[in-house]
Amino acid sequence: MTFRKIMVSALSVMICFQMLMPILLRAEETVDVIDIRKQVSGRISIVLDNSTAKGSRESDWAKNLDGTIKSGLDFTGLFNLMPAPINIRNGQDGTINFGAISSVGSDVYVTGAVSKKRGDPNLDILVYDTTGKQLLNRTYTGQEKQLREIGLRVCADLVELLTGKKSVFGTKIVFVSNRSGFKEVYMCDFDGQNIEQLTSSRSISLTPAVSPDGKYLAWMDYTSGRPDLYIKNLSTKTIASVRKPGVCIDPGWVPGTDELATTLSIDGDQELYLIRADGTVARRLTKSRGIDVSPSFSPDGAKMAFVSTREGRPQIFIQDMNSGLAHRLTFSGTYNTQPAWAPSGNKILYSSLQKNGEINIFMISADGSGLLQLTSGKRDNEYPSWSPDGSMIVFSSTRQGKRKLFVMNADGSNQRPLLQMDGEQQQPSWSIIK
Amino acid sequence: MTNLKPKARFLYIPALLILGACCCDNVVVPPPPPPPPPPPPPPAPVVQPLGDVFFDFDRSELTAPTQSQLKTNAAWLAAYADKKVVLEGHCDERGTNEYNIALGERRAQSAKEFLVSIGVDPVRLHTVSYGEERPFASGHDEAAWSQNRRVHFVEDK
Repeated sequence: MTFRKIMVSALSVMICFQMLMPILLRAEETVDVIDIRKQVSGRISIVLDNSTAKGSRESDWAKNLDGTIKSGLDFTGLFNLMPAPINIRNGQDGTINFGAISSVGSDVYVTGAVSKKRGDPNLDILVYDTTGKQLLNRTYTGQEKQLREIGLRVCADLVELLTGKKSVFGTKIVFVSNRSGFKEVYMCDFDGQNIEQLTSSRSISLTPAVSPDGKYLAWMDYTSGRPDLYIKNLSTKTIASVRKPGVCIDPGWVPGTDELATTLSIDGDQELYLIRADGTVARRLTKSRGIDVSPSFSPDGAKMAFVSTREGRPQIFIQDMNSGLAHRLTFSGTYNTQPAWAPSGNKILYSSLQKNGEINIFMISADGSGLLQLTSGKRDNEYPSWSPDGSMIVFSSTRQGKRKLFVMNADGSNQRPLLQMDGEQQQPSWSIIK
Repeated sequence: MTNLKPKARFLYIPALLILGACCCDNVVVPPPPPPPPPPPPPPAPVVQPLGDVFFDFDRSELTAPTQSQLKTNAAWLAAYADKKVVLEGHCDERGTNEYNIALGERRAQSAKEFLVSIGVDPVRLHTVSYGEERPFASGHDEAAWSQNRRVHFVEDK
């Protein structure tokens, strides 16, 4: 295509776009954007009693475990935690006064007993409902240095017991920070604890993405002087690189496979390609003039959400992986990027640069219905990523000045900072790492 | 003169004679040829230095000032036929980092295509996109943003 032809077709696209503008604007005004709803009433109320312990060492363990369990359950945003009322035990025999539990509005009573078995901590957890029915009676053991892991196992079991769903405990978040003066990839626990630096390229490292099975970490890096893709096998530690002429941007893994999609510009135009974990190209996925970028796959891997400028400004599209046919998903707003398909279900998150200059996170169903705005009025909120169980969302926000990581529940409630760390943090990706 | 004493008159006459001889020499001896004027220096090439080009928000199309600057850069490339240049594509901080890397590449590609269309050998033009990762101006307003939406020309050394 000659330059003149490119200019002429670019001009015709711009003219078409100008003609479409009034329609787009009307659509934006009439769209049903529901504001954030606080769902405090939807929480399960738990009386979390202090664990009993005999001996000073056991008491220290109990204090540590109780703290981990309380902050862990609190982090999920699923529960109202309350201390045990004074009259929790019946005066005469010391049995549990279930009437006191229901009188403070609680649904569940959790209590523990810490002891020492062969020098190691031993925790017995008992869970009752307000009628006195025992819901759980389980023993947790481990070494003293594993107290946090023991506490988080209790949290995971309590969430599964009380909600019937898997939890975030044990998951990891990879992200980018410029703390060292360079953008490098870091990893932390689900709750922002145990920060670990994964790259030391001293160039620009971006867009880390862990495969859904936790086997691989992919990211892009300017070590060679331009953006290349790297894929690390997390068990063997071997690294494959994808170096092609042009760019290599923003990998997204296909669930249930050892393949990812990423943007290459081998032929000049930015198109999505399927790449194997060994770094070889499996096949080209898109063919359209303009930018195609930021792939995110449905849980079954059959559909891909991505950003395309094929109709002018960046919008989210969905492509069927078998037929290759694509259709536009977003019609509200003129700058929609960063789709994130829920690991379960059909919800897709994305970020939208709005007319007031803010970037906000929206949720939409894969069929285009149920548009919901999750952040508002707080500067730039970007790069949403689902927790592996689909209950929470991590994102970056400049609401407190510097760009930092925040978490919220999947309905947009309970937005709060994830971790304290120097520098800026961005591009979080929540995953299971074994 | 009439007041001059005889001694002074004695000195005056040879002085006149000497002056007269000098005049006679001027007439007789041809003057040395004037030194030839220095040859005019070869005209210094009037080549403007390489300059950066700028873009509208979320756009990679070339504006009229951008095309004008690219023609200037093409003249530089014609004057220094052995030099290669890197075209760095940059974006402002608005929008999202990943998208902006793609956009920065399109800006660098647009500038390269224009230069090639007016006769620059594509082998001498290398493109790289930094998206919004290496801003020139650090502010958070249009004054800074407009400075950061650019293709930066760097001699490839």
